[in-house]
Amino acid sequence: MIAKLIWRNLWRNSRRTLITIASIAFAVLFAILMQSLQEGVFNNLIKNVVNYYTGYVQVHQKGYWDEQILENSFTEDAQLFTKLQKNKAVTEIVPRLETFVLASNKNITKGCVLIGTDTDKESRLTQLQNKIIKGTYFKNNDEAVMLSEGLAKRLQLKVNDTIVLYGQGYQEVMAAGKYHVKGILHLASPEMNDNFVYLPLKTCQYFLTAENRLTTLSLGIDNPKNAEKLTEELENSIGKEYEVMTWQELMPDVANHIKADGFSFYIFSGILYLIIGFGLFGTIMMMTVERTFEFGMLLAIGMKKSTLKIILWSETVLITLCGILLGMLLSFPVTAYLKKNPMQLTGDLAKSYEQFGFEAIFPTEVDVNIFINQSLIVMVMALLIGLYPLWFVNSLNPVKAMKK
Amino acid sequence: MKNILSIFVFLILFPCIILAQDAKSIVKKADEKAKGNTSVALISIQTIRPNWTREMTVKAWTKGNDLTMILVLTPAKEKGVVFLKKKKEVWNWVPSIERNIKMPPSMMSQSWMGTDFTNDDLVKEASILEDYNHTFLEDIEIDGRNCYKIQLIPKPKSAVVWGKVILSIDKKDYMMLHAEYFDEDGKLMNTMHCSDVKMLGGKLLPAKMEMIPADKKGNKTILTYKSLIFDTPITDQFFSTQNITKVK
Repeated sequence: MIAKLIWRNLWRNSRRTLITIASIAFAVLFAILMQSLQEGVFNNLIKNVVNYYTGYVQVHQKGYWDEQILENSFTEDAQLFTKLQKNKAVTEIVPRLETFVLASNKNITKGCVLIGTDTDKESRLTQLQNKIIKGTYFKNNDEAVMLSEGLAKRLQLKVNDTIVLYGQGYQEVMAAGKYHVKGILHLASPEMNDNFVYLPLKTCQYFLTAENRLTTLSLGIDNPKNAEKLTEELENSIGKEYEVMTWQELMPDVANHIKADGFSFYIFSGILYLIIGFGLFGTIMMMTVERTFEFGMLLAIGMKKSTLKIILWSETVLITLCGILLGMLLSFPVTAYLKKNPMQLTGDLAKSYEQFGFEAIFPTEVDVNIFINQSLIVMVMALLIGLYPLWFVNSLNPVKAMKK
Repeated sequence: MKNILSIFVFLILFPCIILAQDAKSIVKKADEKAKGNTSVALISIQTIRPNWTREMTVKAWTKGNDLTMILVLTPAKEKGVVFLKKKKEVWNWVPSIERNIKMPPSMMSQSWMGTDFTNDDLVKEASILEDYNHTFLEDIEIDGRNCYKIQLIPKPKSAVVWGKVILSIDKKDYMMLHAEYFDEDGKLMNTMHCSDVKMLGGKLLPAKMEMIPADKKGNKTILTYKSLIFDTPITDQFFSTQNITKVK
């Protein structure tokens, strides 16, 4: 009997019900979009930062990060690789040998950062190959360098010129060599763009008389969120002589910047929820008020207030559920589309983004958790707002209510 | 009265003047003995570190105080590297990059090829005779030999690496047996100890020099003379930047 009443009430004025459902659906859609966008931008930022250079997680000899010298390098160890690969979360392991050397051409000399790396793996992790602006990408057995744009300009070097590297190798041996400039890279961060030189790993190891030695293993992982957990797992599995660090530890200033950015997103979300809440409240309030006569009549012919409350509450719950389902259905294709075709920034804003090496796009993240969380938040809001009609009925005087 | 006084003053000061002269001349004698007019030496250099040691062999030619040429023979990777010192200029030829690098004075205090010797120690850009004032400290016995202890303070305006050097020189045979190098604040930086005295190139000289840095535990560099020949005629032309690429 009551269920029948609820159902009929809903469809007696279908337009009213549909408006409410739609408003809830849009609330859910916006909340989900907002959150997906935040996560998406966040992860994209992290991806950009990590693609700079560091990778999500790095492994070094213990003490290397505090004193970055070749004496703190470690031996290439197949066992270590297998231990790392055992962990499902690790998608890529890039071995590197890094140090400072002098680079010179004719009589111009400049200090720079030398990175010996596995050319294929490096490109898979940091897309190095896509950063080439002139020349071609180097291979693992090349005796050739990839030169950052700023450094090339400073040393007045072009593709196919010869660069001289001069410095100190492992165990303080003199390191000196001439290399062919095979490609010129545009690296996102200005600091890197003025100082980086890449050599194939084997060539670099020979140059520094550091056969089979590495300073860093840079790891790619399946999900940036797992970096912390993975770091702990790896610390336990690979032994005490290594240190494992997340990108947040490697680049604290960038990590803080992203945190601050995230905070502004929270404020946005708060404002969005307020707007959603008041919109919903307005809709429900209007509906309650326009049904005053109906309520009064029901009470006058002997319906208990509690029964009426149950009916009203159930109506709200039903409407909310429908709205949320509809909202989810709507938001799925929208977020998926925006993930594939992210919003592009244009003009000066885009330029300033690109200067810092961030892509000027706002992609979304499609994540089941976001859908569930946002729907729950909207649901709680709708159910709280659904208490208003109950309170309204509570203070209702049937006689007054039926006065036209 | 005045005369007597001035004579008296003179008599008091005279020994000091003599001594000051003497200190310098002793250092000069030791220096000349070790160098001769010219010298050609085969030297092995061992760098000792807490976790590893490395050895290289070099051939060194000197002529007087102004000309030095050093050629690295082993290890293979550094074979053919040459250091040349002419008066106040120091050049470094690196065959693998076919470059002749002129070393700025600021590099003189840096380590020479990873050893505990500075570039300056090796090519003696600063002259222990001309750039310092010499004074006697006391007599000392080292390895059973009586030595003069002489303090060297750099002259103002001379560009030297050290703030103070204390040399111990054998009284009889004028050999430098011990040296301590201090920085500007009077802190001991390096100690050089010479031993294994034997006949080298017809002279009695220490064949082994150990350089021990004060602040790095377990670090040491040992220089051993394998052979030494004095006073073979070498032309000035030999010590030229043209020859730096050809020297064998």
